[in-house]
Amino acid sequence: MVDWQTLIDEPAVIATAVLILGVVVGYLVGRLNEELLTASGVPEAVEGTPFERTAQSLGTSTVEIVARLSAWFIYGIAVLTAIHIAQLLDTDAFWLRVTEFIPQVFVAVLVVIVGFVVADKMELAVSEYLRGVKLPEVSLLPKLVKYSVLYVALIIALGQIGVHVLALMILLTVYAAGLVLVGAYAFQDFLVSSAAGIYLLLNQPYGIGDRVRIGEQVGIVQEVDLFVTKIEDDSEEYIVPNRKVFEDGIVRIRE
Amino acid sequence: MAGLDDVFGDLFSNVDAAALFSPSGSYYERFVEVDEVDVIVVGTENDVSAETFVELPLEFDNISDRIRFGLEGALNQDIIEDGDTLACATSVFSDDIDTVSRVRADADSHTGIYDLFARSRADPEVIKSVLELAIELGQKGQKGKPVGALFIVGDAGKVMNKSRPLSYNPFEKSHVHVGDPIVNVMLKEFSRLDGAFVISDAGKIVSAYRYLEPSAEGVDIPKGLGARHMAGGAITRDTNAIAIVLSESDGLVRAFKAGELILEVDPEAY
Repeated sequence: MVDWQTLIDEPAVIATAVLILGVVVGYLVGRLNEELLTASGVPEAVEGTPFERTAQSLGTSTVEIVARLSAWFIYGIAVLTAIHIAQLLDTDAFWLRVTEFIPQVFVAVLVVIVGFVVADKMELAVSEYLRGVKLPEVSLLPKLVKYSVLYVALIIALGQIGVHVLALMILLTVYAAGLVLVGAYAFQDFLVSSAAGIYLLLNQPYGIGDRVRIGEQVGIVQEVDLFVTKIEDDSEEYIVPNRKVFEDGIVRIRE
Repeated sequence: MAGLDDVFGDLFSNVDAAALFSPSGSYYERFVEVDEVDVIVVGTENDVSAETFVELPLEFDNISDRIRFGLEGALNQDIIEDGDTLACATSVFSDDIDTVSRVRADADSHTGIYDLFARSRADPEVIKSVLELAIELGQKGQKGKPVGALFIVGDAGKVMNKSRPLSYNPFEKSHVHVGDPIVNVMLKEFSRLDGAFVISDAGKIVSAYRYLEPSAEGVDIPKGLGARHMAGGAITRDTNAIAIVLSESDGLVRAFKAGELILEVDPEAY
């Protein structure tokens, strides 16, 4: 009988109890997550993305994968705790590393999954937006957006599990800086024009129906929008960039 | 034994093309598989991604208006030629296609109804919104009472120069476009003001309260219409604008272009 008593106090028994508790809690958390994700409309949001389709073909779904992930995370913790209690591996240092590492792996995997879904979603959105532009080269843009998002997700994930990502970060910075520079250069005229256009729309120094002279062009204002001012005389319609309105000044002509 | 097919077959035998008005996707698919005729889809939107498509600005309730508009659009886009015979399949009683009529395209009976939308200065979308607005205003009126309204769409610069303000312009320094969500309510409120609304090519509401001063020479509008129609009709002769007028007395919506009455719709029919 004494042996029984000591057996209950045995670390192995407590470890088993912890293990069972972990399995139950893990399963419950998994189910709860699945319900929560479904209720918050995640399945509709990810529908149609390649990631979801891949998951579907493997007989699962994005929601299920994320839910399983959280369940497995808890299983993992339970197993590790059990091992610790049973003192199968008596190394505190190892234990410390593992407790730090597991959540990081969890976050990393989550980031990769979210990254995939967001990247696919962005690709869809961009290609949908560009569908009106009938240029074959434009189809490159959605892909570019997709891989940019994936790249960032990958860096975050690798950073999480402690891989040195400095080189990748530098690459990203160069890429982003290049994008900004090219964008700023390409859209320079548009930016200047739109800045002028905002002033013109807010203050309306001239309005539709006024007779004005901008630089060489004289005519009646037909339309003012963010980028251009359309003025028209008897036979010709000039479309003047708002940038020019500021460079050349406006002359309002009154009879 | 002659079946119904033989009798009704006259309707669609030897037609040059079939015009489907707002067909459903599967209905269109079935037609594409028929080799004998060209298929033209007519509708407010090209839902079925058809190759030959004529856009309707409104879901015309009147069948003859609907078909006439579709044919004029097809003639204008050179999809069909003068004298072609078409089987026009459209819906009358249900949402699905339930009626076929045999129509001969006639370029001489040109009413300009298609030109009103497709060949005007202003964007077709803008004209469509204004027309819808006028129709809605005609249906509901202002607080239950019938109202009249006059919208001059397009060529706003010239229109502004051929008109003068009756009072302060409520739309001064505003950036309101027709089709914006709140605009219908706003215009409904302003419709009790006298004078015309001036709307630019891109749909910006430039002014309300305008007194139009066109020269009314050579304007040919039906006798019996009042000053509002006369002013609207005349300004379209002097400028490249179009006028959409809601009559206070008979409640009809009329559109003028180049001084001529082009379109007449009864808001109650929508």
